Amino acid sequence: MLKTSKEMILLYVFVGLFLLMSAASPSKFLTLGNLQSMATQLPELGLIALGMMVVIITGGIDLSITFTAALSGIVGALVLSSGYSAGVEGTAVIFLIIKALLATLITALICGFVNGLLISYVGVSPILVTLGTMTLFEGMSVWLTKGGAISGFPGQYQWIGNGYLGFIPVPILIFIVFAVLTLILLERTAWGRSVYMFGCNPVATFFSGINTKKVVMLVYLYAAMMAAMAAIIMTSRYNSAKVDYGSSYLLQSVAIVVLGGTDIAGGYGKVVGTVVAAGIVQVLSSGLNLIGINRFMVDVTMGVLLIAVLLLNSFISKRKQGKGVKKEPKKIGIAV
Amino acid sequence: MKKIIALLLSVLFMVSLLAGCGSDKSNTQSQQQQGQQQTASTKDNKYKIVVMPKLVGIPYFNASEQGAKKAGQDLGVEVIYTGPTKADAAEQVKMIEDLINQGVDAIAVAPNDPAALTPVLKKAKDKGILVVDWDTPADKSVVDLSVHQIDDKQYGEHIWDLLVQSMGTDSAEYAIITGGLSAANLNTWINYGLEYAKSKYPNLKLVTDKIPSDEKQQVAYQKALELIKAYPNLKGIIGISTPAPIGAAQAVQEKGLQDKVSVVGTGLPNDSKTYLKDGSLDVATLWEPAKLGYLTVALIKDMLDGKKPTDGQEVPNVGKIQVQSDGKTVIMGPPTDFTKDNVDQFNF
Amino acid sequence: MKQRTKSKELWIFIILVVLSVLISARSNVFLRPDNLIDLLKNNAVLGIMALGMTLVIITGGIDLSVGAAVAVLTVLIGKFMVTFGGNLLLTFLVAVAGGVIIGIINGTLIARANIPAIVVTLGSMSIINGLMLYYTNGSWINDLPAWFIDFGKITLFKFHDAGGNVVGIPIQIIIFLIMALLTWALLKYTLMGRAVYAVGGNPVSAKRVGINIERTLIFVYAYMGFLAGVAAVTHTSIMRQVDPNAFLGFELQVVAAVVVGGASLAGGNGSIIGTVLGVLFMAVLNNGLILTHIPTFWQKIIVGLIIILAVSFDVIQRKRMEKSLPRVDVEY
Repeated sequence: MLKTSKEMILLYVFVGLFLLMSAASPSKFLTLGNLQSMATQLPELGLIALGMMVVIITGGIDLSITFTAALSGIVGALVLSSGYSAGVEGTAVIFLIIKALLATLITALICGFVNGLLISYVGVSPILVTLGTMTLFEGMSVWLTKGGAISGFPGQYQWIGNGYLGFIPVPILIFIVFAVLTLILLERTAWGRSVYMFGCNPVATFFSGINTKKVVMLVYLYAAMMAAMAAIIMTSRYNSAKVDYGSSYLLQSVAIVVLGGTDIAGGYGKVVGTVVAAGIVQVLSSGLNLIGINRFMVDVTMGVLLIAVLLLNSFISKRKQGKGVKKEPKKIGIAV
Repeated sequence: MKKIIALLLSVLFMVSLLAGCGSDKSNTQSQQQQGQQQTASTKDNKYKIVVMPKLVGIPYFNASEQGAKKAGQDLGVEVIYTGPTKADAAEQVKMIEDLINQGVDAIAVAPNDPAALTPVLKKAKDKGILVVDWDTPADKSVVDLSVHQIDDKQYGEHIWDLLVQSMGTDSAEYAIITGGLSAANLNTWINYGLEYAKSKYPNLKLVTDKIPSDEKQQVAYQKALELIKAYPNLKGIIGISTPAPIGAAQAVQEKGLQDKVSVVGTGLPNDSKTYLKDGSLDVATLWEPAKLGYLTVALIKDMLDGKKPTDGQEVPNVGKIQVQSDGKTVIMGPPTDFTKDNVDQFNF
Repeated sequence: MKQRTKSKELWIFIILVVLSVLISARSNVFLRPDNLIDLLKNNAVLGIMALGMTLVIITGGIDLSVGAAVAVLTVLIGKFMVTFGGNLLLTFLVAVAGGVIIGIINGTLIARANIPAIVVTLGSMSIINGLMLYYTNGSWINDLPAWFIDFGKITLFKFHDAGGNVVGIPIQIIIFLIMALLTWALLKYTLMGRAVYAVGGNPVSAKRVGINIERTLIFVYAYMGFLAGVAAVTHTSIMRQVDPNAFLGFELQVVAAVVVGGASLAGGNGSIIGTVLGVLFMAVLNNGLILTHIPTFWQKIIVGLIIILAVSFDVIQRKRMEKSLPRVDVEY
């Protein structure tokens, strides 16, 4: 009960908002078209938030995640557009697309490797490393594109971001696959357990014989992989790649992660919470948009919601504490 | 504990107040919309036209909003002027998707990135929505109408002509400060200008690549100071994007170099007035954004009524427009130059 | 503990010197007094905000709403001066009062309701920004009174540089120095300063020795707000116009300067000298790009690489030094 309460509250908020929006504009919100477009929009930010969550559970933060996505998307796009001309058809196109996907993934993994190396093996604090790599990856993206957009992809590539399986948009399927994967990795494997342990107490984790360096390295590689997936969906959906695609996702993804109940100091965080939080943000954004609320008031509402939900959480946990054993205030610490 | 409860209550109260404000507004708004829909269905022709800027909350797009809204009143159409709060193409795509579901007759968009919007604009077109670009061109193959404030080539060349005029010589060193390296329309003007300068003013020397300023006056000011010091022979600065020439002019003014370094660029008259008057900003050039908003809505209304724009057509409150040979690219007209002598006549 | 902080500052100082030597080897302008003065003036606002952020980070918190707070305060004083005229003192008071109110709200939510600082300030950032842009629509405020513009032009301690030009220290630099001294003294010589370190270092023992954690936290965020007000006046006095969008994304630059200056997000660590060095490091790095004629498309790559090198170098050096010392406690 205690463990699921945060996530349950979120779920109630999600359902409540969903009903509210449906009541506010039933003819628009509850249409197949709107549900489909919400399902198409959510995955980019959702995937980045999943990657960010894993990092935050270890007590770190990845400020470079959006530019990892931008850089890897650009490299993939360069492979795709340089290899594609009018004559290329059939299996050659499929082969080219696979090459581009691999290029995107490998670039992202290199970015993640640089972060992981500096954080776990050199021992620099995550915020400092990713502050530097954020600027570096942005610089490389600008240098590669000269600020312009890379376009000219085969039509088949658009299927990833804009296609449907039956009536379900492909992006949401990708998101579900990776959400489940993250869930299994975090909550069912040894690596996952050590991620949580490291977030709670890195020293104890180290002394319990776990190779913490490897654990942390894998965390940043995993975050980079999520960024690559988001990049693939973005380049496909927008049929191009550019340095500032998704640049507004950085703080948004942190907001989703903490809204989802993850402890910013590390040690706690559930995939379900992050997924529901991403859903809340999406429903709120699309719903308010459909009603026609001023965009700035949408931002205000998001801020109010963020504080209100956490206020509710802390209120409830305090009441529980009041009934149970008094707990010493926990030191809020981030791994250095 | 009591304090906490009191605090919680007061915060909740505030939140509910805020939420109350929000929902009140939305209620009246949606009621209005419903009302409008009803009148639309009874009086048949009340079109719903979306005009989407690159972002909301900057002076340039506020001015065009006023123009678009005024056209809506004059012509009896409903104008929904909405856009993202950050110049991010991803946000624009999401909003357009939501708007398609809202059921509108036309969408006019100023793309943050043309290529990114192609798929979603195709989707809108498939739903029978009239797709238009304004301010910055989108993918030509998907739009039904393309409203340009200006001929990009002409504008780029015009800025370089102004620079040479202000410096009084075409053999000098100059630098460019731009809003952002990835802003498509700014890059277009700069590229046309550079190409033109290569043949027309071969002795003009660009000291370094365009310098980005994050669309912020303070950054443009800082960069201009550094440029002046790093390149002591600098005679001119071109500022592209509205805060850039102002920041550059401020640097020139503070260093007392009004007579030595000329600043020209794209600027709004109200914000550049001070610097135009003290001579640190030689000339700012721009179209009237309100007219652009007005023209966009007016032409969309015509298209929805089945009328195509024609070359030389006189649009009320805007003037004569040019239509290019493809029949869908419309150009509003030449830019207006703001100098210390005429800047007081404008208010935007 | 003290030793470690000192060595951190020392390494940042060394890195700063190396960077400056490299830049001045490629540019004879860099070390000219007028350039150094411009550099300080243009980073005074960043510096003032970083001072407050240092306190916040020492307590183990973070304030992501500073950019939005300064922006809304510039709008507030802009509107105030255009509507009422007012005078300098009143303008300062309005800005500072507004800032302190924002700070107290942030601090209360963080301290009393026990919500992590990053969440509260992320929320208040979108609320403040959203409301401000909703009401101003991003319009600039142009016609500030002449007395205020003259205030921004004040320079003190005039002297002649090598070329015979008269150079003076702009008022903005003086404000930054006063604030830096004030904050330094606050941390070093007052009980509150000690409480700030204690709360960040070890809240449990801080409580046991009788420090009021809630009050300390609220004070810290209110002080951040106070400095946001000072920063708003300083910024407006430099730019002479108010652009509500001028501080979008600025919070990360402030945090960057503070953490580069040696403060750790875990709390308990950080110093005003370190932060001032961090601000100078970022300022010199950005200033050097154009002066050394680095091509535009390489600039960000070089900035990123230098930051990474600087922070790694710092850690590697300290590790090497610690190895030569007897190990006292387990560092993580």
